[in-house]
Formats: sequence, structure tokens, C-alpha cells
Amino acid sequence: MDATLLITVVLVVVFALVFDFTNGFHDTANAMATSVATGALKPRTAVVIAGVLNLVGAFLSTEVAKTISSGIIRTDSSGHEMITPALIFAGLVGAIIWNLVTWYFGLPSSSSHALFGGLIGAAILGGGVGAISWSGVVTSIVIPAVLAPIVAGIAALIGTVIVYRMTKQASVPHAKPAFRVAQTVSASLVALAHGTSDAQKTMGVITLTLIAANAQPANTGPQFWVILTCGLAIGLGTAIGGFRIMKTVGTRITPVESPQGFAAESASAATILASSHLGFPLSTTQVVSGSIVGVGLGKRLSEVHWNVAGRIGLGWVFTLPAAAVVGAVAAWVAISSTAGLVIVAIAAVVGVAVIFRLAGRKPVTARNVNEGAPDAAPQTQGALA
Amino acid sequence: MIEIDWSKFAIVAGVVLGATILLTLFCSGGVRLLETAGASSAAARVGAYACFAVCIAAVLFGLWVIVPQFH
Repeated sequence: MDATLLITVVLVVVFALVFDFTNGFHDTANAMATSVATGALKPRTAVVIAGVLNLVGAFLSTEVAKTISSGIIRTDSSGHEMITPALIFAGLVGAIIWNLVTWYFGLPSSSSHALFGGLIGAAILGGGVGAISWSGVVTSIVIPAVLAPIVAGIAALIGTVIVYRMTKQASVPHAKPAFRVAQTVSASLVALAHGTSDAQKTMGVITLTLIAANAQPANTGPQFWVILTCGLAIGLGTAIGGFRIMKTVGTRITPVESPQGFAAESASAATILASSHLGFPLSTTQVVSGSIVGVGLGKRLSEVHWNVAGRIGLGWVFTLPAAAVVGAVAAWVAISSTAGLVIVAIAAVVGVAVIFRLAGRKPVTARNVNEGAPDAAPQTQGALA
Repeated sequence: MIEIDWSKFAIVAGVVLGATILLTLFCSGGVRLLETAGASSAAARVGAYACFAVCIAAVLFGLWVIVPQFH
């Protein structure tokens, strides 16, 4: 491996781990938002549990990593990847920038689709449209992206109806604590599912880079050190950040109570775990948002804040193409010369630093995460039906 | 022409609906048994704990299915 290639591979590994960290930072909310909104878990406890389970989940199933390292980008006739480490690096930069911009605006867009978008944009620029396995993109990304939130939403809707029908005659003050316990378990499952899904995406990218650099045979899974570092990065990111988006997902889409939260999280965890097992790289954000809309529908239609749901929907539609454009621009600069590659690396570092500084001015912390949340205090006793 | 294997999506949808219905049904059933019968009926309490046991077993089975080391 010559020096430039080696440096590029190292850059990909470092930035992939940073991406993974921001993914945890960004998506903690998905696992724990409803639990925090209902008061089932304290924000800080929720975040630590989610971080540890992210790491555990990273080791449980690596099917999604394999889909990304061998299912999206084509190999040429001699079996070589049609993407170079420099292009992968450029794609990553596109994804990181897009991810942080949406994070700053509190939009739960999909960090996964940002990653796919960045990779696809960079690969098209470097190897043409033929470098992409379009059937892989359609079957592994596009169709699951449309179906998963709908399936999760329908399941959450049915689950909510069941929960409220079954507990209608139960005495309200005691039913709620019981569901808080159930919800803590279901939220933990979502965090675990997050590790089987989101940590895998970074593993897939690092593995793809190692294959493209001929450091690993094609069609092989992630190596142990890759699984470990990716699990640690996402777990750490989850444990450190995430209060900002928790606010949008947990309280702005629809008011959530413990029984609803339980139904939503059961549906989300089942959707992500089943999909990860079959190697579909889902966006956990999309699945969780789908479930939360579903429980809102199951309880009362008017309680879903459709404008927020619509804003999230727009984020979904634009994430992949927008990240693809940023990825393609970064690729164009990165493959021009070694200096170009350095420029892209510096641009990424500066972009990350700027967004972190901006975010620091109006932080969402453990103290104000539940502002505006109905039913956040454990003492609150509302009607269940 | 892209060939799409719809059966995989059908499996996911079926598993998701089945798992969610099972979990919410048995969990809320357990809560209902505990709350309506209260502490007075031993049978209701046994029934409630049986319901919770079904939920826990379902979750553990799901995890067993997805972890390759168990197969």
C-alpha cells in the first residue's frame, strides 16, 4: 500500500468513526425519546443505557454491514471495487456535513440516507452511473425506506388500540407505572436495535474501503477491530449527546403517554431488528417517527402534529439527493490531486467545528429536554382512554 | 429490469405486526388482570405473571433468532 492510499484509508477510518459518533449523537433520541417524554426514564439514565446497548447491538448482527460493503457499489469484471478509498472519503464528508446541518436545525432526517447519498454521489462522479448497483439501491434502500415507517406505524397503531382497549377498565393510577416498566424494556430494545442497524453502516463503509484498497478480500464481513471501534464510537456519541433531537421526536410530533410509548417502541424495535436480520439498512429515525405517528393515530387523529410530521417527511425526501450532491462535489475536489484531498479533509473538520460551535449557543440539555412535553411529571394522572 | 424479492418484505411486515400485537396484547392483558382483580385473587395474579412471562419469552426468542452465534 503506497503512502497516499494508506493516508486515505486512515482518513476514511477516522472520519467514519466521527460519523458514527455523530450518528449516536443525532439518533439517541430515537431509542429513548418516548421514555424521556413520559418520564419513564431520566434523560441522563436513558442516554447511558442507550449508549451501552448500542455497543452490544453492534456485535449482535452484522448483516447490514455486509449489505453496505458488498450490495451497493459494483465490482468491475476483474472483481475490483468500482470505488476508490478517496471517493469513499469524499462521500463520507458529504454525509457528515448533511448530518450535522440537519442535526443543528433539529430535523430528524436520516443519517443513514445521508451516508448512502454521499457514497452514491461520490461513486457516480468517480466511476459513472454504472458503478452503482441500482437493484441493490432499490431493494435494500429505497423500498425498505418507504415500507418500514409505514409498517412500523400500522403496527404501532394496532398496538395502541390494543393497549387502550385492554386497560380501559383498569384503575388508571396503577396502570401507568406498569407501562413505565414495560416501556423501559421496549426502549432498551430500540437502543439495541439501533446498534444492529446504525453502527453497521459505518462498519460497512470501513469494510468497503479496506476491500477497495485490496487490504481485505471482496464479499467478506467486517473484521473484529472494525466492529469494536464502530460500536464504541456510536455508543459514546449516544451517551454524550442527543438531547436536541429528543425534543422533536418525543414531544413535537404527538403527545406520548407510557402505554403509547410502549406500543411505539415495540413496533420500532420489531421493525428494525427484523430488517437488520435480513440485511436491510433502515433509518432508525424514519422507523421511530413512523411509529410515533401511528400511536398518535391510534389514540386520536387530531393529536398528530401533521406539520411536524410533514417537515420530517420533507427531510426524508431530500436527504439522499442532497447528500449525494455534497458527496459528488467533495469527490470532484478530492480526486483532483493530493492537495484536493487535503482540502476536503480540512473542509470537513471546519464544517464539523462550526456546527458544534453554533449548536453550543442554544443547547438542549438534560434540564430543558422535556419543556413543552405534556404528562412529563411522574405524578401526573390523566385519563387513559 | 430490477428483480425485487417481495417475500422478504412480506416476512418483515408479518414479523413486525405479529410481534407488536403479541407484546401489546399480553403486556396490557397482564396489567388488566393485576388491576381489575387486585391482590384478592391469586388466580388473576398467576394469570398476569403468565402474560408477562409470554412477553419476556417472545423478546428472548427474537434475540435468539437474530444472533448468529446461537445457531
